[in-house]
Amino acid sequence: MIVGGCDIGSATGKAVVMKDGEIVSYAITPSTVKPEVTARKAMDEALQKAGLSKLEDLDYVVGTGYGRLKVEFANENVSEISCHSRGAQWLLPTARTVIDIGGQDCKVMSVTDKGKVLEFVMNDKCAAGTGKFYEAMARTLQLSLEELSTMGLEAKKPAAISSQCSVFAESEVITLINEGVELADIIAGLNNSVAGRLSGMVGRVGVVEDVVVTGGCAKNEGLARALEQRLKVKIKRLPMDPQIAGAVGAAVIAAEKVAQKAQTDSVAAKSAR
Amino acid sequence: MQATKPRAVLCEAPPGKGESELSTKVKSKALKEFQEATQMLVNPALQRWKDQGGRVIGCYCSYVPEEVITAAGFVPFRMRGTGSAGTDMADTCVSSINCSFVRHSLDLGLRGEYSFLDGVVWVNSCDHVRRIYDHWKRKIDTPYLRLISLPKKVDEPQVEWFREEVSLFRESMKDHFGIFVSDERLWKAIKLHNETRRLQRQLYELRKRKNPPITGVETLAVMVAGTAMPREEYNKLLKELVDELSQSSAGHSDHRARIMLIGGILDDPAYIEVIESQGGLVVTDSMCFGTRIMWKDIDEKEKDPVTALARYYIADRPSCARMFGDQPRRSAFIKDMICEFNVDGVIAERLVMCDNWTGEQFMTGEDLKEAGIPYIRLDRDYINVGAGQLRTRVQAFLEMMGR
Repeated sequence: MIVGGCDIGSATGKAVVMKDGEIVSYAITPSTVKPEVTARKAMDEALQKAGLSKLEDLDYVVGTGYGRLKVEFANENVSEISCHSRGAQWLLPTARTVIDIGGQDCKVMSVTDKGKVLEFVMNDKCAAGTGKFYEAMARTLQLSLEELSTMGLEAKKPAAISSQCSVFAESEVITLINEGVELADIIAGLNNSVAGRLSGMVGRVGVVEDVVVTGGCAKNEGLARALEQRLKVKIKRLPMDPQIAGAVGAAVIAAEKVAQKAQTDSVAAKSAR
Repeated sequence: MQATKPRAVLCEAPPGKGESELSTKVKSKALKEFQEATQMLVNPALQRWKDQGGRVIGCYCSYVPEEVITAAGFVPFRMRGTGSAGTDMADTCVSSINCSFVRHSLDLGLRGEYSFLDGVVWVNSCDHVRRIYDHWKRKIDTPYLRLISLPKKVDEPQVEWFREEVSLFRESMKDHFGIFVSDERLWKAIKLHNETRRLQRQLYELRKRKNPPITGVETLAVMVAGTAMPREEYNKLLKELVDELSQSSAGHSDHRARIMLIGGILDDPAYIEVIESQGGLVVTDSMCFGTRIMWKDIDEKEKDPVTALARYYIADRPSCARMFGDQPRRSAFIKDMICEFNVDGVIAERLVMCDNWTGEQFMTGEDLKEAGIPYIRLDRDYINVGAGQLRTRVQAFLEMMGR
């Protein structure tokens, strides 16, 4: 059984191909202004890596993410909240609290040992604590996102940044630059500010270990450590790229659907006999 | 929190059985008229009333004792921001910490869209709304303006306080319009408004069916129209609608879950449309365009109509989060509704910046969590629904419930 999961986010499109309960391949591609094109690009790349040639090789596909309704080759769509929960828990079975930090959303889910959502909170219409926030800050600091992700670790005295709002934080950053504050300290300050916002959301659903972080921003080691400090728990690192957790969850749900269908069919076949 | 079979935990009796699996759309003429009334400020029936020389008084909150207005021979009209495209004029006197309802409705006022009103009445529902009164008085030339002082608690001393306020409000009808609102007129108005409430409850009764004959979007239109049309005409139309729906066994069956909606001012069907587009059929609510304004009647056996009004508004009816010390009763009301209407999950809506509903939502959430009822808070703006994010959350909420 070969299934696919396709997660079309605001910043990137992710696709995962799964065969008999194992991840065979995955792909991450920058989002275009056409979600259906992004979806196709991500999935084509993942298929190619898996040594498959066409969409028809997939028994079932679940689409998720902001562009989930535009994944034209998907059999159905499931919300990214369910998919990230499912995916994170599949990647790390002990995960009970999932913090997803995507391009324009951050959300916190509490999940069961089956990866089902018990409760969730999501940010409002605001870029604070999301990838968009980091993109804006990287631009101001003239750094790449990769540099931003690691430089904060070298901080000696993290700067105090009180604003969680991207617009206001940017002006705070500019003030700090002009005061001659070290870049590493500014970045650590930003990480602390984002961690502060996220910990408020985590508080609403309650911290249950293991805590994991998914989404593109999970690759920011400085942020992960800032979160650990705030939440006073160790964050478990996922064994695979945390950015694909949503697509993994979509693929896991797809596999489940195929299995369910097979079961219903066999029951139907038996009763027909 | 475990989200399976919530009602079994909370409710004693098993839910009732529905009548029919048929799904048909309500085609009533009455409903069309109600839906039209949500899309504009001056609906055709209100326009006819105006053309005949009738007066209309705006009410800025469901706590304005509108029976006094009806008794004076006027039409009470709940203030809304319908049709507003922006808040730039209002933003010259309020700030972005004020809620979007306040800003949009004031903006309409400043643009002259409320010039059809002969008066506007406020209560100090919250600091945001109270401030509109101040700006309105300075900038808009509506002939009659009044701010009624609304107590914060719901006990006997506050009933007494509000009785005095209702009494002064009634006297102001004489001072300003030269109309003496006699006890007899007040009782007549109370009976008329109670009739509206009775009909609206009958409509809600039908939503208890397994396949409700009316959606949440449609019901909201019925409730909004009730605050915008001449009362007798409205009651007549509503009776037609209730009769029509009662006689048919057809209903909506293709939903994934039965939802109760709770929160503050919500008059725009677009928000509920998003919820229902995902399969969450709204079957009941605790809203001020919903059960809070009609679940209880004004006591017609009371000796004095002003006392009856005061007791109804302060103590008897389900209270708004704005009232202090009454949260346990509000939670109990929500739990009763969950059982009566066979609710699968509760959605709490709140306008961004609404302080009254912020704390309330947390407390309600804790109570419902304890009772095992799936619950989610979904903030919104008054005009811009933010459909994308909202859809994702509603979908996830339904998935969370295993629907």
